[in-house]
Amino acid sequence: MKANRIAAALVVLGFSAVACGASSGSGGVTPGKKIAFLAPDASARFENQDRPLFQSKVQSLCSDCEVIYHNAGGDATLQEQQAQSAIAAGANVIVLDPVNTTFASAIAAAAAKRHVAVIAYDRLVLNAAGVTYYVAFDNETIGALQGDALLTAMKTSTKPTVVMIHGDPADLNAELLKKAAHGALDGKVTIAKEYDTPASSPGDAQLEMTQALTALNNKVDGVYAADDGVAGGVVAAMKAAGLTTLPPITGGDAELSAVQRILAGDQYMTVYRPVKQEAEAAALLAYDLAFGVSVAAAVTGGKTVNNSARDVPALLVEPQTVTRRTLISTVIADGFWTRSQLCTADYAKACKAAGLS
Amino acid sequence: MADPLKRAEITDNVAADLTAAAPEAAVAELPPEVVAQSLGEYVRGYVARIRAGESGVLPVVMAMVAIVVVFEVISPNNVYLSPGNLVNLFQQSAVIMVLAMAEAFALVLGEIDLSIGFVGACGAAITVQLIQPATTNWPWPLAVLAGLLFCVVFGAIQGTLITRLHLPSFIVTLAGYLVANGLFLKILLFGPFSGYPNLTGQSDNLHFIYNLMWGTIDPIVSWIGAAVVVAALGGFIWFSDSRRRKSGLVAPPASLSLIKIGLIAVVAIVVVGICNLNRGVLIVQEGVPWVIPIVIAVLAAWTVLLGRTKYGRYLYAIGGNPEAARRAGINLSVVRTAAFMLCSFTAGIALLLYASYLNGMSNNVQAGYYVLYAVAAAVIGGTSLMGGRGKPLHGVLGGLVIGAIYNGMYLLALSFEWQYIVTGLVLLAAIIIDAVSRRGSASGSVTRI
Repeated sequence: MKANRIAAALVVLGFSAVACGASSGSGGVTPGKKIAFLAPDASARFENQDRPLFQSKVQSLCSDCEVIYHNAGGDATLQEQQAQSAIAAGANVIVLDPVNTTFASAIAAAAAKRHVAVIAYDRLVLNAAGVTYYVAFDNETIGALQGDALLTAMKTSTKPTVVMIHGDPADLNAELLKKAAHGALDGKVTIAKEYDTPASSPGDAQLEMTQALTALNNKVDGVYAADDGVAGGVVAAMKAAGLTTLPPITGGDAELSAVQRILAGDQYMTVYRPVKQEAEAAALLAYDLAFGVSVAAAVTGGKTVNNSARDVPALLVEPQTVTRRTLISTVIADGFWTRSQLCTADYAKACKAAGLS
Repeated sequence: MADPLKRAEITDNVAADLTAAAPEAAVAELPPEVVAQSLGEYVRGYVARIRAGESGVLPVVMAMVAIVVVFEVISPNNVYLSPGNLVNLFQQSAVIMVLAMAEAFALVLGEIDLSIGFVGACGAAITVQLIQPATTNWPWPLAVLAGLLFCVVFGAIQGTLITRLHLPSFIVTLAGYLVANGLFLKILLFGPFSGYPNLTGQSDNLHFIYNLMWGTIDPIVSWIGAAVVVAALGGFIWFSDSRRRKSGLVAPPASLSLIKIGLIAVVAIVVVGICNLNRGVLIVQEGVPWVIPIVIAVLAAWTVLLGRTKYGRYLYAIGGNPEAARRAGINLSVVRTAAFMLCSFTAGIALLLYASYLNGMSNNVQAGYYVLYAVAAAVIGGTSLMGGRGKPLHGVLGGLVIGAIYNGMYLLALSFEWQYIVTGLVLLAAIIIDAVSRRGSASGSVTRI
């Protein structure tokens, strides 16, 4: 196929550019390089976490390197223009979090033409042979992480009764979670009731849990809640039903209210995607590609993800389980939430008990 | 004459009937309590009315009974009619009931208000934000007032645009829906709550709002309260009826007054009795939840406003025939603007209950769906989309039907695909029952839309 041949050629070109860089930069003073970071939208995460973390890691690796930062504000066309201007400004590497995973293949193609390496960040760029690396969270493990944590928490009961509250059935990620969670729980527990929650609405989740408790006469040993939004609804339903000791309840996303519920003992766990690890891994990889340092195979562990054009070497950052025990070593240590954000007046006692204040 | 519709004062139904302009005044068109002089006559009159398509709330009650029977039979261990689940059912339906009573003000006029979900949500978010101990820490009465005031002002602006500039209410309130949706998200972001101001903290104000939905009244106080309400209502019915009889005005027979009072007492005893059974599993949970008297208070206030005041009669008159109402000397703009204000105000109460139910406010309130369900609830209960016909009670009964469907489906954990299909079909069936039972009715039926 013609497309495949072009794709193969682009890959070769991409890698030869890296190889050239390696020979020229191997001796004496390293001149500064330019690395572009293209953020997709204005969500707080990029300005507050990814950008500063990425920038400081690049600076620590080479002080005279320049990071060109653009945010597309959710506009795929604008992102393409931003990529063009970054290439024109002489960017050696583009770290690209695509607004639209399909549209962004044009950016990867344009970059490949100019021998600029592209790292797909957080989301894969589809149908693009010009993608050199893919750095993201290993989202497929989250469902298993939640399921395993729930099993650990319920290990004293044999064949425990579990209610599963999933997220939005229209969301592809929620479907992945559902499958992985079933993989972890099926056969080991009795799934008494199971619900999908349109739009992951906490109100609907509360209704679902109330009715599950009614149908099961409040006999529930654990609840698989797909994310922190529905977990909030589950906790509210249990309190309204008059349960004083809550069974283990899972969650996801490490939202502030969820971490506070964990502190108070209402929720058992949530899942933290360590942005710091992701941003720093991308920065290190971008540095290596810019200076032509060969990337050790151990970085990806040989993992690849197919984007319909090629198998892209993938650096997948493992999400982490946050419980009362690991709260300090995860979200607090990374500065994802600060002690003062968590320990409001209502949680002062719980914070003290957890050794947070 | 101070009141252009004085002659319609006979009873609340007559205003609607007259303005619906039926050319031939058949006996069946007048409510039996107007014409009947004995209980036998009353019963015959009632049957005649049902035959003629004036079935009132009978279809929705029938639909409700059918839904309850089906779910009771197929629910696991027949828990559908357990005291715990009946209390659940009322708590889950309360928001739609009150929202449907809000929408009634627009529907009676033959208008629609799409904005009330998010306008109410703004009001509730304002209240929840203002009582946060970490920020403003207002006392709850002031915070509730501020939230409801926002709703009234929003309703006044929309109402003025619709009536003074003669803009279609559908578009104006659609715009209002979008604006309120945006404002709602903005209001949530204030303060250090990452968009989820909640009611979990240690503060009497937070507890009070939480208790609107979840608080319960002590069983003994519940009985006393119910007795007082039944006595007051019974006394009112008995004395106003006997005064009418003494003055030689048309009045229902004494036996009918007694039966009415008896029915109210039976309903009160059943409701309080169910709520006072212990529904807790590990701990004792009993007593009437606050939300029941709250919904009843809204129902009573709006029933009196629409059925027994000049303002209510004007509203039905405008909804039935605006031109005739204008010629009769009614100030259309003022009455209609006030209706949109009352609509938003009541929505504020509904969404405050929602905030209480949810233990806070979050950005994924499904306020758009709620408005559609509120309209559906009112119409299922017997309110016309064409204006001129509708009562607050319709919203309460229709809301109970929608709540009953969801309650049962969640009890069975039906998959969401089937939930959508079942809900759609049941709503359709309910409205078909309503339309068929009203065939031939003079006071308008949904089939004539």
